[in-house]
Amino acid sequence: MARALAAHAGTGPRLSDVSKARSRRTSRRAWLYAAPAATVLVGMFVVPLGLAVWMSFHKWPLLGDSQPFNFPANYTAISDDRLFTAAVGFTVKYTAIITVVLLTLSFGLAVLVQESKRRVTGVLRTVFFLPVVTGLTTAALLFLGLLSPSAGPLDDLLAHFGAKVDWLGQPTTALISTVVMMTWRFAGFYMIILLAGLQAIPRELYEAASIDGANRWRALWSVTLPLMRSNLALCTVLIVTGGMVAFEQFYVMTRGGPDNSTVTMVMTIFRQAFSQFNLGVAAAMSVVVLLGLVVLNVVQMRLLGDTDEVAR
Amino acid sequence: MIQRRILSGAAGVGVLAMALVGCAGGGSGAGSTTNGGAAEPVTLTMWTRSVTAVQSQALVDAFNTEQNGKIKIDLTVVPFAEYLQKVSAAASGHNLPDLLAANVIDGPNYSKLGLWSDITARVAALPFADTLAPAHIAAATTGGSVFAVPHVLDASSLYYNKILFEKAGLDPEAPPTTLQEVADDAAAIAALGNGIGGLYLPGDCGGCLAFTLFPSIWAAGGTVMNQDGTKATLDSTAAADVLGIYHSMWANGSMIPESRNEAGATQNAAFEAGTAGFALLGSKALGTLKENDKLKIGVAPIPGPDGGTSTFVGGDVLGISSSSKHADAAWTFLEWSLGDAAQLDIYAKGGFIPVRTDLAENTYAAADPRVVLINSLVKGGQTPYSPRFFQTFNDAQGPFLALVREAIFGSGVDSLPKANDAVTASLEAGA
Amino acid sequence: MSAAARRVLGGVGAAGVAILAALFIGPILWVAWGSVRNGGSFSGTNYTRLVHYGAGLWTYVSNTGLVVLLTVVGSLVISVFAGYAFARLRFPGSKALFVGILAILMVPHTSLLIPLYIWLDRLSLGNSLVGVSLVMVMYQMPFSVFMMRNSFETVPRELEEAALMDGCSPRTALRRVLLPAVAPGLITVGLFAFLASWNEFVTPLILLSDGDKYTLPLALVNLVQGDWGMIDFGALQAGVVISAVPCIILFAFLQRSFVSGFTNGAVKG
Repeated sequence: MARALAAHAGTGPRLSDVSKARSRRTSRRAWLYAAPAATVLVGMFVVPLGLAVWMSFHKWPLLGDSQPFNFPANYTAISDDRLFTAAVGFTVKYTAIITVVLLTLSFGLAVLVQESKRRVTGVLRTVFFLPVVTGLTTAALLFLGLLSPSAGPLDDLLAHFGAKVDWLGQPTTALISTVVMMTWRFAGFYMIILLAGLQAIPRELYEAASIDGANRWRALWSVTLPLMRSNLALCTVLIVTGGMVAFEQFYVMTRGGPDNSTVTMVMTIFRQAFSQFNLGVAAAMSVVVLLGLVVLNVVQMRLLGDTDEVAR
Repeated sequence: MIQRRILSGAAGVGVLAMALVGCAGGGSGAGSTTNGGAAEPVTLTMWTRSVTAVQSQALVDAFNTEQNGKIKIDLTVVPFAEYLQKVSAAASGHNLPDLLAANVIDGPNYSKLGLWSDITARVAALPFADTLAPAHIAAATTGGSVFAVPHVLDASSLYYNKILFEKAGLDPEAPPTTLQEVADDAAAIAALGNGIGGLYLPGDCGGCLAFTLFPSIWAAGGTVMNQDGTKATLDSTAAADVLGIYHSMWANGSMIPESRNEAGATQNAAFEAGTAGFALLGSKALGTLKENDKLKIGVAPIPGPDGGTSTFVGGDVLGISSSSKHADAAWTFLEWSLGDAAQLDIYAKGGFIPVRTDLAENTYAAADPRVVLINSLVKGGQTPYSPRFFQTFNDAQGPFLALVREAIFGSGVDSLPKANDAVTASLEAGA
Repeated sequence: MSAAARRVLGGVGAAGVAILAALFIGPILWVAWGSVRNGGSFSGTNYTRLVHYGAGLWTYVSNTGLVVLLTVVGSLVISVFAGYAFARLRFPGSKALFVGILAILMVPHTSLLIPLYIWLDRLSLGNSLVGVSLVMVMYQMPFSVFMMRNSFETVPRELEEAALMDGCSPRTALRRVLLPAVAPGLITVGLFAFLASWNEFVTPLILLSDGDKYTLPLALVNLVQGDWGMIDFGALQAGVVISAVPCIILFAFLQRSFVSGFTNGAVKG
């Protein structure tokens, strides 16, 4: 830095001084703007996370004041949990399915709404978004009711046609039912995000593409998708990460059944903490999941080409 | 008129309580000694599970009214499925409520974790100490010390639909007295067809299955665990007999198919709709199920394979948390809740089972022979004891549910020995 | 393609859209219908049960309202400033901060519950609606900051530079020029913060000890699942309707902004 200064000594030290001062002012302003976010991040996330990591290194009795250090006992205990390995596989499977289904459908709905006649646009947008206003727990309870043989209309409807589906009693149907519920609940959410991105694409680009002879699909591929990149990236990150930490939907709809076929990773963490009362092991599992997700997201971001934008 | 009875009865108990406390050498803490007018008002916090909210609320409301500000209890109802979460969070933060209720099967676990304070002496000093539901007291006793008292009782029984009995040609006043007879009757009812089934069982709920299957094993003179709850004995002949009968009910179609998926949340539904001949339910159901032209409720004790009867005494126990600063005021409430006034004028009158065996036959119960029957079961009933009960039997991913599902819906009782080992492993863990 | 074929295809397409719409709205209609039915006839008993439950519906609604207000305001303030900083300003540590915010997504809520409980208690925010709101703001940060960053990025720099040249200070430029430009993003962030905090169940359940401070989802679950063996589907349906109505109204009110007010041209046929 000093050498650069000296090098510029003759040409205009004031200029580089000014630009340095400006960048310092910018940084200060930037940090001022970023301060609220940073405060909440540190105060409400980093500290509790640190506490969780600390818990993972200690034997943590429910009551009592002594917490003896026991690393790596909590971590090696993870492999003793007979459900964890299977849960990892199931969670990955579920995430893959929900990502494909949800992304495709949300994007399709966004395009649908975008292209629809002005009269029905508002209606369609509202209809598809409506499920999002229910909470996840409520949506799961709602679907439990829908699929219930006693309280719900579906079984009666199917009985008319002489059909019967064991909605939640078989591993496959239980998974599908949960995926359907999640899709119903979240498609509108991601549709809105993608819609915002779609609407930001200038019409001129489409006109230019059609002049070049591109049909609808080609326009979609070469105009829409590239310009939707950051919104699609946001959606993918949210869906994939959400899938990997999936818990509530299975906890309410299938309880991990039938016969432990829909147990997710976080469900095993929950079980360790609140059924087995092994808070230290649960914390260790959380750390492992977090590390795995960090790696996953780094890979994801790189693939989706977002890192250069982050580094700005 | 009734209020005056409650007040006079409560006043009597109150005086007795104060005298007792005074005799106990003067307890510390506010609001516990004689009414010299210097006692400050005490507010206590109490947590109860949502499934026992009605009973707890009734008691707390009456107590607060009578105490008239001297001791006030703030009752928080917690969704029962998340109860353990809240308790573990509060315990970690040393923030437990003064009065902490628990599912009775969690009693040994809570005692072992030190969440409750020792009330052995206080309980022993009660005039009716011997009549407190023995099963609950046993569950609340660890290492010879008592940590909680019975709060709400829920005894499992065999419910049957008298209307369906008649339709199937069975005598509605002569319910089955052996488990095999239950199976035969269920088959007869299932033969009625038309959407009618024989037995509806909560087949995907570990806790519910323990609640309903264990009595048959006990009635046959068998056990489900060893004395201190560290070894399972579900591969015994008695268990195999019981599970074998249920397996045959599933195989020959007398069990309603949806039983296999029933996780307990809607286990009353089929019976209440009049489409199930039998259901094994708790005593609380008697108060909540509504009779109609499709359902007339009959109640019988749960029988063993060849006879005998027993019941699983479930429900909640209530203790004073070890971190409470108002132990004496909290005890005032506990003692009051076990007294005649509370047990008769609030519980029995409201259709709930009194937690004292000496009050089993009371004027309110006499109005309904079914209530008398259920009350009488409590004395001979059991509550299984294990510090790892919830983790082993109630947990949806636990080994007990897997054992029962394989034995009833799967390959049958040959799977028992191996499955039993998994249950034992869970009972021993973390010991 | 002939005109007739195109018409048939159009008809099929329209039918498909109609079916899709029906699938989405079906469960909601079932809920609304069931909420006013009791035992085969119309009745308001489900709603009266809900209104009189526990500490009264109004208490739970106002508790939830407070959490929602704090969460929405907090999320907007934080994400506008942070989003702007990420999009427009270069500063040391920005990458670390952004990654840190994203990391919030990767920790399951379950894992943070007990540490949060202990830590908030230490801060004297235990058993408080303010504490719950702060946690909700934290959970919303990844989405809201990411969304606002994207929104600010799509605003052409020329707009801002023009304002600056006209003599605006950077802060005034932000307020007068940029905020209106990112209005859709603001609305999305606000709406989603509203929905998330209005419907959140597990966080207030663990962090609140007083029944009187319970939020609406907690009271609802207590009422619906309270008695073992019977799910009160009627009360559930009434509860879903009551929970959904404010959100639907808000969305209906806001959705007009999704079509208007874009600086780089709307794209509607």
